[in-house]
Amino acid sequence: MIQREAFFLLADTGRRFCLYYPPQVPEEKGAVLYIHPFAEEMNKSRRMAALQSCALAAAGYGVLQIDLNGCGDSSGDFGDASWDSWVEDVVNACDWLRERSSAPLWLWGLRAGCLLAVNAAVNLKNRPNFLFWQPALAGKPLLQQFLRLKLAAELIENEDKQGAKALRQQLARGESIELAGYRLSPQMTRGLEEADLQILPHAGRIEWLEISPHAEPTLAPASIKRLEQWQAAGVPVSGQVVSGPSFWQTSEIEEVPALIQVTLDVLVRPPAS
Amino acid sequence: MTALGSLSVELTLEIKQEILAILDEILSLRGRAAGFNERTPLLGAIPELDSMAVVALITTLEERFGFSVEDDEIDGATFATVGSMIEFVKGKLAA
Repeated sequence: MIQREAFFLLADTGRRFCLYYPPQVPEEKGAVLYIHPFAEEMNKSRRMAALQSCALAAAGYGVLQIDLNGCGDSSGDFGDASWDSWVEDVVNACDWLRERSSAPLWLWGLRAGCLLAVNAAVNLKNRPNFLFWQPALAGKPLLQQFLRLKLAAELIENEDKQGAKALRQQLARGESIELAGYRLSPQMTRGLEEADLQILPHAGRIEWLEISPHAEPTLAPASIKRLEQWQAAGVPVSGQVVSGPSFWQTSEIEEVPALIQVTLDVLVRPPAS
Repeated sequence: MTALGSLSVELTLEIKQEILAILDEILSLRGRAAGFNERTPLLGAIPELDSMAVVALITTLEERFGFSVEDDEIDGATFATVGSMIEFVKGKLAA
């Protein structure tokens, strides 16, 4: 069993629950910050995040997991959180890691967590490396997907179809919306909608991993396009895909052992020159 | 006419296989979807098919088949059976 330290990190607007997995070898190979995905996807992904954190700690990485403002066991209400407050949480968590370790910094995001990683990197003193798990290319489709829960609930209840239209009108009036047990502020939806997976010119290494249910998986066409754009611009990025269920959205909590192994492989691999 | 007919049968089969694979993955059915046929009822019949799962299904259909779905294109009937999902995807691909 890998040891873990639970603590609260102080923020301007309360305290954030954190779990730290110290590296299990004397010489730390890297300091990794896990940035969770949006809303219910965070809960579905908890197990994979824990398994990967343990595997990384055993391989010599220190891993910090933070529950963002209003999420998990952190203080605050999800409905009062803004996208910017989440970006701030990521920066604070990086500072905590930096104080503790001088090993190379990795921002490990899942889905929306990748967008937060990229947004936060602008405010970091040192350039981080990125580990992307099934990165969202932009926040807009994620928000659309979330708003679709309204339509889905109406289909199941056999109610009149209102869909997301009324919700969008509410947001446009500056009001919060409530959906599937989550309250969302206009400050959150605006930030999410504007978020885009654009890499700064001074980014460190980027490892991009995707999960596909097919036995012979391939990267999504949109991902290939983005990777090629970055490679052409000289960004040190490499992409890989593994076989497995989309664990962040499946009905049961699923595991993808291949992803854990590939993640270890790509992190320890020396950067391509 | 015959050639077109057989092509469409092949396409339908391909769509069906993909839809069954998606249902099996998203609803964590552990291979149960392999026993489904066109008449297998979905919405209201499979407890795993809650609103989160419906959203995951729509998103996954969009990703795998490469189209995008507007709210007004779907209703309860779209997810009534495996057959109605196949018809929906065929309609989107033909559009």
